[in-house]
Amino acid sequence: MKIAVRNVFDKVFTGLTRASIVLLVLVLAVVLGPILYRGSSAVVFRGTVEFRRMQFAVFGHGDEQQIQSEVQQARAVRERVYEIVDEFKKGIDASALTERARKIHRDFGQELRYRQTPHEQYAELRSLSRDIRDRLEAAFEASDKAQVDESIKYVMQYRQDERLRDTIAAEYFQMAGDFQRAAARVDLAKRAEYAEQLKDVEDILFCADDRPGLLGPRPGELQPALVMNQYGATRWDQAKALLDRFLWEEKWVEQEKGKPLVKVKVERAKIFEGTELEPLFAYVRDNVREMLRPRWTFYWRYFFDDSASGHYFGGVGPEIIGTLLLTLLSMLFVIPLGVVSAAYLVECASENMVVRIIRMCINTLAGVPSIVFGLFGMAFFVLFLIPLFDGPSKPCILAGSMTLAVLTLPVMIRSSEEAIRTVPQEYKEGSLALGASRFRTFVAVTLPAALPGILTGVILSLSRVAGETAPILFTAGVALGPVPDSVLDTTRTLSYGSWDIAVGNRISALVPHKQYGMVVTLVLLVLCLNGLAIVLRSRVFRKLKGQ
Amino acid sequence: MDKAKSGRVLQTAADSSQPLLLTPTEDLKGFLGLHLGRLTLLLITCTSVLAVFLIFLFIAIEAFPFLTKVSLIEFLTSTGWYPESYEKPEFGALALIAGSIYVTIGALVFAVPVGILAAVFLSDIVSFGIRDFVKPVIEILAAVPSVAYGFFAVLVLAPWLQNRFGFATGTNALNASLVLSVMALPTIISVAEDSISAVGRELREGSYSLGATRMETVLRVVIPAAHSGIIAAVVLGMMRAIGETMVVWMASGNASQIPHPWWDLSQSVRTMTATIAGDMGETAKGSDHYRALFAVGLLLLVMTFLLNMVSEYLLARAKKRLGKQ
Amino acid sequence: MKRTICCSLAIVLLLIGSGLAEAAEKTLHVEGSTTVGPIADAFAEAFKKMYPDVTITVNKSGSGTGAAALVDSRCDIATMSRAMKEKEYKDAVGKGVFPFGHVVAMDGVCVIVHPSNPVSELTSAQVQDIYLGKVTNWKQLGGPDMKIIPVSRDTASGTYDTFDHFVMKQQKMAGHVEYVSTNPQAFARVKTTQGAIAYVGFGFVRRGVKAVNLDGVVPTRDTILSGQYPVSRPLFMYTNGYPPLGSIVQKFVSFHLTEKGQALVEEAGFVPVTRY
Repeated sequence: MKIAVRNVFDKVFTGLTRASIVLLVLVLAVVLGPILYRGSSAVVFRGTVEFRRMQFAVFGHGDEQQIQSEVQQARAVRERVYEIVDEFKKGIDASALTERARKIHRDFGQELRYRQTPHEQYAELRSLSRDIRDRLEAAFEASDKAQVDESIKYVMQYRQDERLRDTIAAEYFQMAGDFQRAAARVDLAKRAEYAEQLKDVEDILFCADDRPGLLGPRPGELQPALVMNQYGATRWDQAKALLDRFLWEEKWVEQEKGKPLVKVKVERAKIFEGTELEPLFAYVRDNVREMLRPRWTFYWRYFFDDSASGHYFGGVGPEIIGTLLLTLLSMLFVIPLGVVSAAYLVECASENMVVRIIRMCINTLAGVPSIVFGLFGMAFFVLFLIPLFDGPSKPCILAGSMTLAVLTLPVMIRSSEEAIRTVPQEYKEGSLALGASRFRTFVAVTLPAALPGILTGVILSLSRVAGETAPILFTAGVALGPVPDSVLDTTRTLSYGSWDIAVGNRISALVPHKQYGMVVTLVLLVLCLNGLAIVLRSRVFRKLKGQ
Repeated sequence: MDKAKSGRVLQTAADSSQPLLLTPTEDLKGFLGLHLGRLTLLLITCTSVLAVFLIFLFIAIEAFPFLTKVSLIEFLTSTGWYPESYEKPEFGALALIAGSIYVTIGALVFAVPVGILAAVFLSDIVSFGIRDFVKPVIEILAAVPSVAYGFFAVLVLAPWLQNRFGFATGTNALNASLVLSVMALPTIISVAEDSISAVGRELREGSYSLGATRMETVLRVVIPAAHSGIIAAVVLGMMRAIGETMVVWMASGNASQIPHPWWDLSQSVRTMTATIAGDMGETAKGSDHYRALFAVGLLLLVMTFLLNMVSEYLLARAKKRLGKQ
Repeated sequence: MKRTICCSLAIVLLLIGSGLAEAAEKTLHVEGSTTVGPIADAFAEAFKKMYPDVTITVNKSGSGTGAAALVDSRCDIATMSRAMKEKEYKDAVGKGVFPFGHVVAMDGVCVIVHPSNPVSELTSAQVQDIYLGKVTNWKQLGGPDMKIIPVSRDTASGTYDTFDHFVMKQQKMAGHVEYVSTNPQAFARVKTTQGAIAYVGFGFVRRGVKAVNLDGVVPTRDTILSGQYPVSRPLFMYTNGYPPLGSIVQKFVSFHLTEKGQALVEEAGFVPVTRY
């Protein structure tokens, strides 16, 4: 082949290798980028006053005075929202008004008995009250303005009646007046539609059955049972999403026949056009900052706090502890085992059948799926080995770390073997020539020289072990539990936690920052441990090179 | 006579008036020490053999009642996997085997070229400074937990595949292969790079001095010299791909079918590991379904073992061939 | 180097030693289904406040594993989204455990599609045909020209059992049906795939997917509880016999009968059996 052609091939080859690394970095960016970005928003984000309130109530962090004053300020701005909603409800919420009318009737009867009115008067007043109540109910239920006006007029003629004036029955007339004013501004035919829309609006603003709203439950109303629903939007991005849903309703409409529907946004204010609720939307949009008071927060306690309300709030402190314990303990088991095995395979073994069987077994071990390790770990370590030493026969960190050690043994053995093999023969021969025994040569000369390669194996193993879920599912992990006191306890871990949120939990869609936060914490933890090992490796390397 | 640091008196060879013979006790001690030492080391190394043996035993015990009950031929050749069907449960594992093969080979097709090229880049083409910087970057890829890859596969890659290429479903064999190849890459690159770097300078210098271009040196001299390490890297990567559970569970769609035109990777497949992981938590312990899952696990182990034997054989042959040259 | 090794070994031994020397305190271990898991989590959080000296651990590895743990006496309560099967009962009785099931909530199984899919009414025969592979394109049902991607839960789960019983009528699904292992995964599949159809628990019907009316009945809390929407199943907590009155186990498995328990069940997205 001509030199020119060979050079072209050479350049192409070099280009290809460069391209592969670029591809790798690109893949890393594409996979890790969104995860890192969203995960970091678990620690650095704009928190609202609801967040600070929650931190104080649930975890006890923060200055009580400051938080109280902030809450008061926010409440002052929110008052108008409550007012507008209440006013509107007066006009359309028929069942509440009916309920109230009935209560007035009952209380009136009680008051008459209390005043010991004579029997005939009592009967007459009661029947009058009943009549007024029924007329009011008819007015509340009516969908025709003329009917409403007629009923209210009938009721109002008794307004000046002195028998009713100083009693509870006077409230009837106030209700009637309020209702008439409200009804004048409401299109009664659309009442059912308004009621449904209002429910949606209230769900978004305050609190829906199963998810929190923008401002949180109204003060004075019954608090939801789950802690996560007791507070409003704790993060500003959450708040903005809710605000968007509040101002715009999403509808799927058919634009072309025979094609999928298309998403269309309809302004909610238009639905309530002409009613009292319309100014609510502009008010909320303009004042949401004062109502929520967002502020840049650096939630460093994320790494120390316990999680609350099933991971919706709080941090990943116990999970970090669990992952660290499991990883370090399993490294403690696997490093000696791996290095010793590698030493045997390189130094003492000759290429006979036994060694070939050992190698095949090591490779097979590498191919066993992690779920099988989990089952094996449970059957062997939890149910057999630990009880053999009088331990309790239940999942624990010890069993989990032993399982993980077996999982990562092949990688450790393989890397250590490569590392020990690459130590130049001259080192070994020199040491032997000086009269050292083979054991001493290995420990004092070969091992330190192979340390960088062994540390590579440690790094790979660490990463694998910290990220595994299936083996610890049955042997050491729990989804919810206290911080472990000893190695004979179960523990939560970052890997199990992120799997749990992603795969089992409904709220995962609501808290993407929590999911990714856990994954990012895991990656950061592994990177820190790796970083230590890398620093150690380069130090040892430099020492070996004689610098 | 020199005094050693410990205070004992050392006798140099020149001082002693007797020939350098070991006393019988010293000889015996040395003999025992050497052989006992080697025996202990052998025993410790055999923990991995013990582990594999125990795992095999455990799985075989659980799978045995099932294997005696159902015909092995049906298990290996039928594609209907309906273990919980009320009237007539079917336990055909062919679709699962095919799924695992599709996904593993797909992963290797993407990972091996990229991995070896990257290893070559790191060891031969780039300076030490950049290499020390890029190696940790690759180790970062290994630090990402499999759950994160699973998210990425379902939430990002699947919709992209659907929108860009118009596939009906984004969770398919292609998706799983791509993500598995990314997961196997750090292992392949690290181990391959270590062994390529370990090839001595002399080989490379000899080749360059004969006028070979870099590509020819790498392809014809360095890679063959490092062949055992590279094959080890590929085997480890393949093992990682076969044994990976979480990602295939989320990314491959789990339809127990063999893709209809066999080359159509855009159809959903189901692997053996995903079947075991997905069904294990919910099945009743001791039921037919439970034992069938262990039978699938046994099948997986046997396949892995056979693959290893084949790779060992190939390795031995390559060594012989290179030895002859 | 040697010193670090010695120090870490000492720490590990201390940890082990401290574990063995610990006094026994009240613990409650709950294991089982990922569907009922959120209810167990919510109860456990409430109990942490009410009974601070009790340690509660919750594990979610699957109904079958929970049942096995109860049979082996490794847990106090097994949460399951299906009733125990014959084999599990036999094993339990053989080991002296007599499983007693408490129904803590009802869960409806709703059929969901992507919100851009104009189809909003389906009969159970049509759904059955989709999963049998007889109907493969949405235009055959009055929708757009898109391939149908049927997604099912894995065959051992309680959700699949319910769906199989009421809709599939025990017939085998077609080969191209995709399987996912959990409700959120099914939700994610439908949310991101326009042509997909799946079935999930009632609490998972949220923004991003649309629940279709099955045989003309809208799936809501009321229709599920009244039986009008028939595709529903009970969620269980199994204990070994009926736990002694006043014990923490008994309080846990009867918590759903209290007002607070009902509120928690509702907020977790299920249908409570009580009606306060």
